[in-house]
Amino acid sequence: MSATVSMRDALYEAPGPKTRKRVLVGTAISLVLLALGIAFVIRQFYINDQLNPKYWSFFGRWTTWRFLLKGLWGTIKVAATAGVIAMALGLLLMLGRISPNKLLSSACHVITEIFRSLPSLLLIYFFFLVIPKYGIRMPSFWMITIPVSLAASGVLAEVFRAGVNAVPKGQVEAAMSLGMTHGKITRKIVLPQALKIVIPSLVSQLVVVVKDTTVAYVVSYPDLMQNARVLISNYDALVSMYFVVAIIYIAINYATNQFSVYLAHRMGTQVVSRMDENPV
Amino acid sequence: MSIQTSMPIISMRHVDKHFGQLHVLRDINLDVAKGEVVVLIGPSGSGKSTLCRTINRLETIDSGEILFEGKPLPQEGKELAAMRAEIGMVFQSFNLFAHKTILDNVTMGPVEVLHRPRKEAEAEAMELLDRVGVAAQAHKVPAQLSGGQQQRVAIARSLAMHPKAMLFDEPTSALDPEMINEVLDVMVELAGMGMTMVVVTHEMNFARRVSNRVVFMADGQIVEQNTPDEFFDHPKSERAKDFLDSIKGH
Amino acid sequence: MGVSEVFAEFGDVYLQSLLSTWLMTAVCFAGGLALGILATVLRVSPIKPLRVAGDIYVQLFRNIPTVSLLVIFVYALPYLGLMLSYRTCLLACVILVVSSFASENFMSGINAIGAGQIEAARSIGLSFVQIIRLIVIPQSLRTTVLPMTNLLIATLLTTAMGSQVPLTPPELTGMVNYVNSRSVAGISAFVLSAICYAGTSVVIGFLGNKLDEKVRIVR
Repeated sequence: MSATVSMRDALYEAPGPKTRKRVLVGTAISLVLLALGIAFVIRQFYINDQLNPKYWSFFGRWTTWRFLLKGLWGTIKVAATAGVIAMALGLLLMLGRISPNKLLSSACHVITEIFRSLPSLLLIYFFFLVIPKYGIRMPSFWMITIPVSLAASGVLAEVFRAGVNAVPKGQVEAAMSLGMTHGKITRKIVLPQALKIVIPSLVSQLVVVVKDTTVAYVVSYPDLMQNARVLISNYDALVSMYFVVAIIYIAINYATNQFSVYLAHRMGTQVVSRMDENPV
Repeated sequence: MSIQTSMPIISMRHVDKHFGQLHVLRDINLDVAKGEVVVLIGPSGSGKSTLCRTINRLETIDSGEILFEGKPLPQEGKELAAMRAEIGMVFQSFNLFAHKTILDNVTMGPVEVLHRPRKEAEAEAMELLDRVGVAAQAHKVPAQLSGGQQQRVAIARSLAMHPKAMLFDEPTSALDPEMINEVLDVMVELAGMGMTMVVVTHEMNFARRVSNRVVFMADGQIVEQNTPDEFFDHPKSERAKDFLDSIKGH
Repeated sequence: MGVSEVFAEFGDVYLQSLLSTWLMTAVCFAGGLALGILATVLRVSPIKPLRVAGDIYVQLFRNIPTVSLLVIFVYALPYLGLMLSYRTCLLACVILVVSSFASENFMSGINAIGAGQIEAARSIGLSFVQIIRLIVIPQSLRTTVLPMTNLLIATLLTTAMGSQVPLTPPELTGMVNYVNSRSVAGISAFVLSAICYAGTSVVIGFLGNKLDEKVRIVR
């Protein structure tokens, strides 16, 4: 019985009459407080004239959404490309790290740690401010995509490693006793299972990548945020636009997270190192 | 059986309980006398664990009443906690406090609930641990002990509260076969010292050897109850006969 | 211009920048933990509307990109009658984001305890408050050391958002911009900032691991 009860319910026992009364009173009070809070926010919008239809009516026009969707498409292109590069690079870093070659292994370890411990913004500045000084010109798409991939690759290398560690040791030992080489064991036994285990975690890392792309305006790449800024100056409607954009991002990331939880649930695995998420 | 005639320490009257659509306890009437050892048996899903857990209100009931020492179970607050302090409980999965040493597991109740001085509580805890044979592990944490050892610690943790009665909810079901006896031995010793016990178990030998009464449950009902010899040798109901046949096969 | 020359010319600002980054990280982490505890209390409370509010709070700030929140604080809130300094905006945003992740960590810490131990605690007569104080809080704190270490590092990295608003002194990422616009030493500034971030992360990670080894609960 207890196994199916969520922990937050397990903290409380079935209430007696007094407790039930208290919960009821608490529920009433909290509902009032929450309603007051929401009313206050709406009031702030109202008294500052931010509910004025002129700030919201253009969301009824297709041209507005077409432009925002164009920006969203830019976001998706950057995020998808960065995701693929980061996965490939993360996989290579992890493979290097678990290789028997000491030098390669420690080099990959160090690179992983460095990418993991730098803010993606710092890497973006490197590609945006520093590299051009040496005469290297790069399209804005790559100025945002490369640093985002690098930052993500460090985390993904760790995710892959967690997946490899989750493959039962006995299988590796069994393969070794059959005389298989390290490379062959990794390719044939460990990787296929490890990759399957980490799929939900890879999906949840996409959220981090999407978040990292939101500073694309730094390099003037037309992503969702950048296009929203253009619309703000066109329509002179800052508050409504920034709130709508925030809601779009939240919806995308929430859906991605839920999808990864669903995958983990369906595959019977866990979202490994979900806690490593970099909230930027 | 003189033991049956004294005033019951636990008394259940017309107890009913549902889990959603499922009627898990149907009109349960059961008295347990002081010093009595009652074993609850029955097929899985018969409601025996649920019954056991209602006695210290880990499960609530829909209707009827449960009395402990003649008084209705308190429903919440200090009174409920105080009543629970007087009833020991041993779980299938041991449920030791993972962050505390074995010794601290045993002293937590006496120190925090009974407000006894730590020194004194520790001295008694060591005696109890010695009695159940795990004194040498006193400063380890639960995860370092075998299942059998953990369960014996759980019993010591209950005993440290000087309970007036003890509930055992399938105490050996999660154990490897070779560890079952070390736990049963402790329980036999407790029964011999006159502890009032309600035991949900599949250990028929224990039931026959130690209990004063066997209560057979099926589909949330008490189907029959009798002395162990009578029950095992001459079961009256078809359900009980079927059940006993099915476990003989093993 | 090499790293040493950058240090000679911008050393003072750099030191201030490093200290400011550290300070902001500490403030944001402490604030995030405090707010995260509050959110967690709401989420595990028996009062349904508070639970729902706590859950929504966490989902909002867990999923919003920090920049998106920062532009709302810096540019939108003044239109709604709330004008805050740049630094306050930055700190508030990072704290809100960090608190949602902190609460998620606390929730997994609580989930790791298991209902059985709570029932056992109940059955020896511990009150609700005692169960929270003696079992739930110590266990969830001790199981969340590693995730919280990672969160502290993430907090450090998130303060890089400070480069998107004018701050004096700039934090480590803003320093690259600061140095770059005043000299040709962009790459040296990048390397210096990177060393500061990586060094800080390594130290935090090391201490976190040490602490975790000490308090980890074997299950």
